[in-house]
Amino acid sequence: MRFPLLFVHVLFLAIGVGLFLKAWPLLAEVPIGAILGSESWHPLRGDFGLYPFIMGTLAVTALAMAISIPVCLLSAVYLSEYAGTRIRESVRLAVDILAGIPSVIYGLCGILVIVPLVRELGEAIGIQTTGYSLLAGGIILAIMVAPFIIALTVEVFRTIPIEARESALALGTTRWEMVHHVLLRHARRGVMAAVVLGFSRAFGETMAVLMVVGNVPQVPGSLFDPAYPLPALIANNYGEMMSIPLYDAALMLAAFILLLVVSVFSLGAHFTLLRIGRFGV
Amino acid sequence: MAMVLGSLEGRAAERGPAVGKAPATVDLQGTIRVSGAWALYPMMVKWAEEFRKLHPKVRIDVSAGGAGKGAADTLTGMVDIGMVSREIRQEETRQGLFGVPVVKDAVFPTINGNNPVLATLMKKGIKKSVFTDLWIMGKPLTWGSVAGQAVPTRIQVYTRSDSCGAAETWAKYLGKKQEDLKGVAVYGDPGVAEAIRRDPAGIGYNNLNYAYDMRTGRPVAGLQIAPIDVNENGRVDPGERLMSKHDAIQAVLAGRYPSPPARDLYLVAKGNFKGTSLAFVRWILTDGQRYAEEVGYLKVTPGQVKESLKKVR
Repeated sequence: MRFPLLFVHVLFLAIGVGLFLKAWPLLAEVPIGAILGSESWHPLRGDFGLYPFIMGTLAVTALAMAISIPVCLLSAVYLSEYAGTRIRESVRLAVDILAGIPSVIYGLCGILVIVPLVRELGEAIGIQTTGYSLLAGGIILAIMVAPFIIALTVEVFRTIPIEARESALALGTTRWEMVHHVLLRHARRGVMAAVVLGFSRAFGETMAVLMVVGNVPQVPGSLFDPAYPLPALIANNYGEMMSIPLYDAALMLAAFILLLVVSVFSLGAHFTLLRIGRFGV
Repeated sequence: MAMVLGSLEGRAAERGPAVGKAPATVDLQGTIRVSGAWALYPMMVKWAEEFRKLHPKVRIDVSAGGAGKGAADTLTGMVDIGMVSREIRQEETRQGLFGVPVVKDAVFPTINGNNPVLATLMKKGIKKSVFTDLWIMGKPLTWGSVAGQAVPTRIQVYTRSDSCGAAETWAKYLGKKQEDLKGVAVYGDPGVAEAIRRDPAGIGYNNLNYAYDMRTGRPVAGLQIAPIDVNENGRVDPGERLMSKHDAIQAVLAGRYPSPPARDLYLVAKGNFKGTSLAFVRWILTDGQRYAEEVGYLKVTPGQVKESLKKVR
């Protein structure tokens, strides 16, 4: 029982330390602040500014969360409280299938459907855009994490005893008030966990986002601007590693930062859950 | 990122020794490992197949993954021969990378078939300075300003997200490096072609074999090749008109199409080619050249062949 746990921790540390050591040649030459704060990405000139990529990662993630959390929560509430058995079962099947689709297929659908849609949306509101944008990346990521979040949230709702619902309804609340005051409140920790797990699962799914996000190393100024997240940077340039000095170190540093961001994100969620647990619901 | 590994041993073995060809004078054997540029991959597969008909005991493993990967794999000793679809960088030469040009192809600017000023562009062409404004300066130009008409559609510039020879070559034409190219970056040659096919305001660039349809020899459906006004006289002369792959190949061969974006494709080794690889590369430079046009490439000039044969000895 203890050994596997130890193994998991050692593995995590090993990955972190390994990436850090690989990134060291660059860190030894350029101060970390200059790398993280610089917007200039010109590997051949020795400029390895990661700022646009970090901002791109945060922007795509934030956007995807903003789109998918409300949709997923409401879907889960509908499925668990309002839908009949037949609808619930068929949707569950669809969600399971969606969760298993390889990300490159989501990417292709993104190019064929979402990118043109974003372009038309832009035109409709008077912005000319290629459609390869932060918005397209956010939508794709939101769609990709939805199956995980919905499935987990429905599971969480199912753990709430039927008596809790019945006693609320018996007090004369409407069904929506019951959902609001009983269900969502009781399930808060679980829902948070579902969201975090869904995102951790999707965060590494580089391919689909890479295909629609435009990959321009600049800080996106609007939803219709292209962005360039860290995973896409690593995936796009991995083949070029050996022939440019310090390039591999820069990519390893990008990977290390990605690992840190994800860890901080997960730890943050973890401590929020602990707090909710301690102070009660 | 993606890797294709095709061992050609099985296929060639089924066919047995080629009928009607002179038997190999030297009984070559061993394994040749090849990796690198997508641009050279189809050509290399054909060469490997033909070479194995002559030398059935030679095994050739070909994988693709981009010019950068080819150079890196060769330098680390993962492969015997690397395929590189751009000129060899100084940093790479310093680390011992050596290469010879084996075929040519070219990169062409591509636009949407429904471009708002298509007719004018086909008559007047596009000057190099416009490409520089778009890809290097990142100026927000409209199609109207390029054609001299009142069309307010802004030009949408596309480039490649993966590090590749096509982008490097296009950047070199504009006097820069791939990392200096502005524009929305899309993965892979087919990716850029698809983006342009779907965007009437778009402009991008593609390798010969992605700009023109393999079967018909015309530009890929939905795409047009933007004619470059090479001599800058304000109109597209007959020699600058590239309506078919044949026109394009002729223009590159005759040197009417500028180079870059016409380019040599290289095979590289660490130090020099050795043993079986050496025999293979020498064969590619001589007998192997005749397969170039069949697969959709251009032969290198006899002068280049002579010089290369001297260098690989």
